[in-house]
Amino acid sequence: MISPYGKRIDQYILICQDSIEGVFSAIYDAYAEKYDAQTTRIQTSEDDNYRLFATYVQMEPDQEKTRKVARTVLREFGEETYTDICRALASEDADKADAVYHAICSGLKMKNKCELMGNLANDDVRHVFELSRYAGREIMHMNGFLRFQELEGGVLFSKIGPRNNIITFLAPHFSDRLPLENFVIYDEVRQLFVIHPAGKQWTLVTGEYLDEDRVLKFSDREKEYQELFTFFCQKIAIKERINFNLQRSMLPLHYREYMVEFKIS
Amino acid sequence: MFVLQTYGISFFVRCKKVQDDIWKMEGWMDIKLTEEMSIMEKLGILSDAAKYDVACTSSGVDRKGDGKGIGNSVAGGICHSFSADGRCISLLKILFTNECIYDCKYCINRKSNDVPRASFTPDEVCDLTMQFYRRNYIEGLFLSSGILYSPNYTMELIYQTIFKLRNEHHFQGYIHVKAIPGADPVLIQKVGMIVDRMSINLELPTAEGLRQLAPNKIRKNILGPMKQIQMGISENKNELMVYRNAPKFVPAGQSTQMIIGATPESDFQIMTIAENLYQKFDLKRVFYSAFVHVNDDKDLPALPGGPPLLREHRLYQADFLLRFYGFTTDELLSESKPNFNVLLDPKCDWALRHLDIFPVEINRADYQLLLRIPGIGVKSAQRIVRARKNGNLNFEDLKKIGVILKRALYFITCNYKMMYQTKIEEDYIVRNLLTVKEKLPLQVGDLSYSQLSLFNDSNYNGNTNQIQLFQELKAGVM
Repeated sequence: MISPYGKRIDQYILICQDSIEGVFSAIYDAYAEKYDAQTTRIQTSEDDNYRLFATYVQMEPDQEKTRKVARTVLREFGEETYTDICRALASEDADKADAVYHAICSGLKMKNKCELMGNLANDDVRHVFELSRYAGREIMHMNGFLRFQELEGGVLFSKIGPRNNIITFLAPHFSDRLPLENFVIYDEVRQLFVIHPAGKQWTLVTGEYLDEDRVLKFSDREKEYQELFTFFCQKIAIKERINFNLQRSMLPLHYREYMVEFKIS
Repeated sequence: MFVLQTYGISFFVRCKKVQDDIWKMEGWMDIKLTEEMSIMEKLGILSDAAKYDVACTSSGVDRKGDGKGIGNSVAGGICHSFSADGRCISLLKILFTNECIYDCKYCINRKSNDVPRASFTPDEVCDLTMQFYRRNYIEGLFLSSGILYSPNYTMELIYQTIFKLRNEHHFQGYIHVKAIPGADPVLIQKVGMIVDRMSINLELPTAEGLRQLAPNKIRKNILGPMKQIQMGISENKNELMVYRNAPKFVPAGQSTQMIIGATPESDFQIMTIAENLYQKFDLKRVFYSAFVHVNDDKDLPALPGGPPLLREHRLYQADFLLRFYGFTTDELLSESKPNFNVLLDPKCDWALRHLDIFPVEINRADYQLLLRIPGIGVKSAQRIVRARKNGNLNFEDLKKIGVILKRALYFITCNYKMMYQTKIEEDYIVRNLLTVKEKLPLQVGDLSYSQLSLFNDSNYNGNTNQIQLFQELKAGVM
């Protein structure tokens, strides 16, 4: 539709799957079908209220398209931007796909493309940067705050409830750290599992259901080590310097739900 | 020594003045009692004794696991938990033993204290480290020790423990070890090859203080190994250039710590020493530890207000200014102004004394100058330098970048305009900075008229004018 002033006022809203693959494929299609970036949005979920002048298009994820977009991003913008984009897409934000799409669009017009993430005066770039920082911080925290518990057979099990979908960012760190351990990381919120058999590659398992009461039987010494560590945490604090506010700002309460040293009291 | 062998694991108990006349060992005796002490009790005693050591960081070395053992290491360090005092728990921080032949007056483990004593065995340390590590409780081990029999004996024990951990348990995580002053250089060299970080505590800022409070320790014995480790690291760097796979010597560098507030040094003296340590000994970090009163001793100061946490905070702020902001001690303090301002952080204080160079134009100033603006840190300065390549920045952009405008606005211009109409005048800026409820450390809140007029305490070294302003504001608020 053309407005009386000759401008297109109709919008295209591309709905895609909530994953890196889904968003990248949608970006590929947006370019291939020559959508105008100014009037096109990419969303990972449908609106609650449909807009009158918008055309909704459903997008399908596609491996080949994903690979092409990923390759372009890596080639044009470099690894830093690629990591930032992946992290931003792992966050829980309604506008993340759109921010990434428009950041890439404006990046491709820049002269010095590897400086894309430095261009913080651009709103889309800043949005991607903030989302990436938010998810990145949670990854950094979870690397430390995640707790394994030993099951009867010696398998290490960890339950997490992160705010962003970061389980695939945690897996490489832990499989490098504990290569000879069998471990499972379970994202309670999204029902995702990372399974790492000793000495092998880790895999992501989706669509499984975990019956915690039936499956989780902890080993004999597990309780003992949990108590030892809890005791250690209490002993290491200097009572003349007690500062609970500082503790809470360094270790927010929502992490503590999953941490053994805050469970037993 | 009187040895009783009854059960299994051995530990030592010192009994004070028991039957002096029978065993004439300086009024002391060591009874090697072999009594079952649970690992829980030992961990309690030995982590309790180690908690005053501040160097808990696990940073400085990036190492991937080789797939054959357990563990890796991340350059930025990882915090695994936070204790009730807000300090991070990154390493399993324990003493090997809290037995000690020294009698340092500030230390809870000094030999004249009657505290429960315990020692780990190397196997116990290894087991705890491994089991904690695979559950992701800790990032590695921090092993320090009281001095058992002699420095060499203690260092040897530590070496055996670490050796076992590295070679039998194939532990590749982070290990930080305290070098024992007075230990043989060969031992220090051996330990340095298998650990990530070593540190030797300077204990007290000056040799005079050390003589007073730690009569058994000599400054030479502390600086000697420090120099040795520094030389070792630089030699190792040359080797690594030629042989890429040569074993690494103390790859995460060395650190040290000193106690603040136990002896009468001024902030200026302390910062000068820290600066020297960074320049002459290539230290990675100097840690400052507010003196905690654990022993009653006539040589120790009474601290009714608790440990000097505000002073410690200011010293850390200044320390970061030295390491990351290009400041020197002489710029921050001088003989005539030997202590930090209570109300304002050292950088703000510096800026107020150098108003002639402000305001600074954000779109033109070089990186070094940006770093000197209050409210702009290393991250924001880097972001500004990157972002302004794509066009001029305005105040709105600065806010998004993360500049703390409520502090910076008095010192900057964007496109040659200030944010508001402000005066470049010391009193005016101080008044405004203090009204915005600058996040002041706890102890400043306690400032009152009586304290100021009665005590000319070095802790409360604000500019009198500023303190007056602060009190007026406080009175106005209440």
